[in-house]
Amino acid sequence: MSNVNISKLKGIVGDANVIDSPSEMAKYLKGQGKPAVVVLPGNTSEVSSIVKLANEQNVKLAVGGAVVDTLGITGGIAMVMSRMNQILEMDHLNLVAVVEPGLLHKEFLLKVAEAGLNFPPEPYEVETSSVGGCFAIGDSDSKSFEYGPTRTFLLGFEMVLPTGEILDIGNKCIKNVSGLDFIHFAVGSQGTFGIFTKLLVKLLPAPEAKKAVIGTFASMHKANATFNTLIKRNVHPTRMNLINASLAKTAKSGTEGQLVIIDLQGFKESGKNIANEVATVLTLGGGFDVKIIEDEVEYEQLINGWLKVRADLNAKPAQTVEFVVGPMKMPQALAQLEALTGDLGAYPGVIVEGLLGYVCLALPEGTDKLALATKLNKLAMSLGGNVKGLLGHKLKAEVYNDAEMWKQTTSLLSELRQQFDPKGILNPGVSLEA
Amino acid sequence: MLSQTVVKRLKEIVGEKNVVTDKVGLLTYGYDGTLLSGEALGVVSPQTTEQVVEVVKLMNEHNIKLVPRGAGTNESGGTIPSEESVVISFTKMTKIHEIDTENFVAVVEPGVINFDLQVELEKKKFYFPPDPSSYKASTIGGNVGECSGGPKCFKYGVTRDYILGLEVVLPNGKVIQTGGRNFQSEPGYDLTRIIVGAEGTLGLVTKVFVRIIPIPRAKKTMLAIYDKVEDASQTVADIVAAGIIPTTLELMDNLLINTTEDFTHAGIPRDAGAVLIIEVDGYPEDMDGQVKTIGEIAKTIAKEFKVAQSAVEVDQIWTSRRSAFGSVARVRPSYGVNDITVPRSNFPKAIEGVLKVAKDFGVTIGVVAHAGDGNLHPLILFDQRNKEETETVHTAEQALCMMALDLKGTISGEHGIGLVKKKYLDKEFTPAAMEAFRKVKRSFDPSNRFNPGKVIDL
Repeated sequence: MSNVNISKLKGIVGDANVIDSPSEMAKYLKGQGKPAVVVLPGNTSEVSSIVKLANEQNVKLAVGGAVVDTLGITGGIAMVMSRMNQILEMDHLNLVAVVEPGLLHKEFLLKVAEAGLNFPPEPYEVETSSVGGCFAIGDSDSKSFEYGPTRTFLLGFEMVLPTGEILDIGNKCIKNVSGLDFIHFAVGSQGTFGIFTKLLVKLLPAPEAKKAVIGTFASMHKANATFNTLIKRNVHPTRMNLINASLAKTAKSGTEGQLVIIDLQGFKESGKNIANEVATVLTLGGGFDVKIIEDEVEYEQLINGWLKVRADLNAKPAQTVEFVVGPMKMPQALAQLEALTGDLGAYPGVIVEGLLGYVCLALPEGTDKLALATKLNKLAMSLGGNVKGLLGHKLKAEVYNDAEMWKQTTSLLSELRQQFDPKGILNPGVSLEA
Repeated sequence: MLSQTVVKRLKEIVGEKNVVTDKVGLLTYGYDGTLLSGEALGVVSPQTTEQVVEVVKLMNEHNIKLVPRGAGTNESGGTIPSEESVVISFTKMTKIHEIDTENFVAVVEPGVINFDLQVELEKKKFYFPPDPSSYKASTIGGNVGECSGGPKCFKYGVTRDYILGLEVVLPNGKVIQTGGRNFQSEPGYDLTRIIVGAEGTLGLVTKVFVRIIPIPRAKKTMLAIYDKVEDASQTVADIVAAGIIPTTLELMDNLLINTTEDFTHAGIPRDAGAVLIIEVDGYPEDMDGQVKTIGEIAKTIAKEFKVAQSAVEVDQIWTSRRSAFGSVARVRPSYGVNDITVPRSNFPKAIEGVLKVAKDFGVTIGVVAHAGDGNLHPLILFDQRNKEETETVHTAEQALCMMALDLKGTISGEHGIGLVKKKYLDKEFTPAAMEAFRKVKRSFDPSNRFNPGKVIDL
């Protein structure tokens, strides 16, 4: 039984923006939960009214840009932000933009490029990711070595808190240490501290030149060895990524073998020299079909191929394990990994973001994820890293044999969440327990 | 006064010589970079995380508050023992545990002096970008506490952008680790970010995982001299519009040109309205193009533009800037420093605003600024012994803060809030934001025992 008061919701956002027929709701939803209703607010005050209503009636509510994860909101409200999709301001003098959360990430990238500017964070999912979602997830990606992780691009926001109040924070200053840093703390909180309704985003000038170097390799180990050579030579490209043979075709059709993608964004002069240096290193390292890509269309195709591979992995978090090691420790990591997984090239999916020492594995069906993650965490910890995120934190505490640390961490996380969302209304599907 | 029992226990925990309770000793820990002072009940200097834990537990048993302190160079009053409290000094936790240049991470204790870390890193051709002007004295723990900036923020950001993880002793005496050795280790919430800049109000940092990067292969330093400050601001705007991100865009006004010239004799014309120090870094082959573009931009409006041709010339240019704060002491014995920041486009208006405050209150103000960041350091010159004048200066500082907020800026770009700016915080933040800060503080420290009264009141 649902307590959702549909007529009150219609009163807030208008009849057309409340959808409660299951067939029409489907395109806005993912996951197994069965919310009673999808609601599409058009402005901040509507978002606030909906959240207040959810509190009054003690109904769970989850938020998404274009698509909402329904975990934990059966009988509750799915809020879709897609009507709030405007760029409210593009400020060239201060290199910032004010953006509504429902704007698709890919559309924002287009507009930013048209303005001659750069917004580095990669879209989490190529077609459906929104700018609000980008900061709600708040990840790092394969460009973070050069540009910094996603959070560094948020200067402020307007947010509807889980109790319905509106919080406005931040300014256009690129340097701001006033108060506690709630601005960056909110990034990555997955909508548990509140719902972004406006984002004040930092931009950069567009790079003068973009080019890429690609090459294919017979083995993951050979391919990865070239990354160590590059780091040793003090070459730090924008991206330095490796995709195993199973996934390489998705990135670039016709690829036979493991695909290396080196992205070079920066200045014309150095770009030329570095591209040549990288191409030489790849060739000497056993790469074939090594090629410098300067053509704009071909470059975009390649990067989109990479984003597609990335997005496919992002789409199934339950079937992936991510871990990080020191970037130069990657050869040992891959060797030890192969002992656990068998031939890395044939594994369902392996990607390496070389500059970050990051590996994402797509697991074969039937894998005991936790058992593998536990082994991988030990492996990673011996090489200066760990399994990513909350799960990694738990496994790390297990390795330290420090149950108290894990208990402290989770009790702090849930205390924080409780302070902001006393009734546990917002995004209940987000777990802070691992 | 601490009871004999507590003093005895403290000495057992950290060692006899690491506990200070005598009046003269306490006095020296009562100050920081501001004009404020306070007197602690005692000062303890632990050397290990375990000792920090024991001290915290002991203080909890006796309901005594703790104020963390590094070198005490902050400009916010963040380390002043303003309430009855014990100062916990981290200056004896100075180990550099690890420098791993291959994997871009260093692990240090909070008492390590920024400069000492830089020296070790430089041997391996690496560095830690945050370098506040106090870097020869200030500690990494202090930099983390205040989220310090420095002259390179335009390109490289502030301290928070280089902290990968922390070991933290919570107010209940438990130890947690936030983040780790990479970008991807935060446990659900980005606990590292909320602790950086919290001035020790949420937890005591006992270990810091910092991100280190290679020293750029090339660097070019330029100096432009202007008739008016507005002209320098124009150059800054034009450089950014040209798509160039210099590491540094430092500005000094006429007053500072003169006070530094008295000392450095660098040859900057004394009638100049402003100088701008511009620095770019990166790959050697990109330098000429950027220098050329910047030169063309600057020359349209500057009366003089030069590119440093040698390390000696670079030093000459920087000596003026580095001695700016000290040099004003030749004019008046005291100065009040501010770190108001405005959106870059409002920088010229902020300069006008500073001039207006100087006029309205009849005070002398010189300006040093990180112009690319919109971050100004108006230095108000006065004599602290003159009570009336000191009052006027405080009012003028308040006017500067309000001016920055009117220009949609912030009262703190890189120094932190501490005690000094706490009274203006609710002018910058809405009640909902202030309440969010309190929710965070309550989650970590419900009894308000860690650095009470700093940043916000519960």
